[in-house]
Amino acid sequence: MEFAISAPAGDAEERVPGNRGIWVGILCELTEFALMFVAYAWFKLTHPADFDNGPAMLNTASGVANTVVMLTSGYFAVRALSAIRRNDVTGARNWLIATLVGGIAFLVIKAFEFRWNVDHGVVGTGNSFIAIYYYLTFNHLVHVVWGCLGLIWAILRTSFGAYSPEDHEGLEAATLYWHATDLAWIVIFPLLYVLR
Amino acid sequence: MDTQERRVTWVWLGLVGLTLGSAWLGEHALPAGLTALVVATIVGVKGLLVIRHFMGLTEASSRLRQVMRLYFVVVPVLILLAGSAGVAMGS
Repeated sequence: MEFAISAPAGDAEERVPGNRGIWVGILCELTEFALMFVAYAWFKLTHPADFDNGPAMLNTASGVANTVVMLTSGYFAVRALSAIRRNDVTGARNWLIATLVGGIAFLVIKAFEFRWNVDHGVVGTGNSFIAIYYYLTFNHLVHVVWGCLGLIWAILRTSFGAYSPEDHEGLEAATLYWHATDLAWIVIFPLLYVLR
Repeated sequence: MDTQERRVTWVWLGLVGLTLGSAWLGEHALPAGLTALVVATIVGVKGLLVIRHFMGLTEASSRLRQVMRLYFVVVPVLILLAGSAGVAMGS
């Protein structure tokens, strides 16, 4: 005896880029950051002096450089996906490597920025703005590391011929997570370096 | 480079331009309310561009697309409120 379960008539299946699992991760990540943005707003309301003076204490050039690096890296990820869709496996692998180089550049710039902070007395004690700065940037940094690991996995799988124009779910999932990390930084950058 | 790749390239250049615009804003002492308004608008535009052109959420009926787009409406409103609060409180 066979049993079959079918979707209700008229409820067409929605095409989900990548896979459903990565979207659970992405929505969890964005929810986590949304809570931090609410915390930012709360501390900005309750400690306005810290937030008025906060952005001027930071190394703005590092923030701008990291934003451009993240956006450029995201662009490379789109090109990787585009390459695999036309069966250019070597191109896809090279674009993914370029994406990963962007991620590593982000981490290097962030390390330089933290070093600069320490040298200039920007440490997370006694100032609400600096405390939320470290919470947000450390948390985002962890997500960048996860994203880099996902990209390494996608590079290896691409190199071993695991993806094709018809089946490249893993590659697309890795790039989607990378874009989500980019989205979080799109909000973090102006909150910390621009808004007074 | 096909049409879609050319479009994505222009989107990327636009995103970089908006980032540099934000940085310029941070270096100039504009009124806090105006800064918050421009920053909120730039964040919303950048988010919607990434969702559409980088993440490929293009189907209008997609619930994922609706959720993601809603995020980049709510967050800019929060930025606007947080940025304007200082003005309202006289800081």
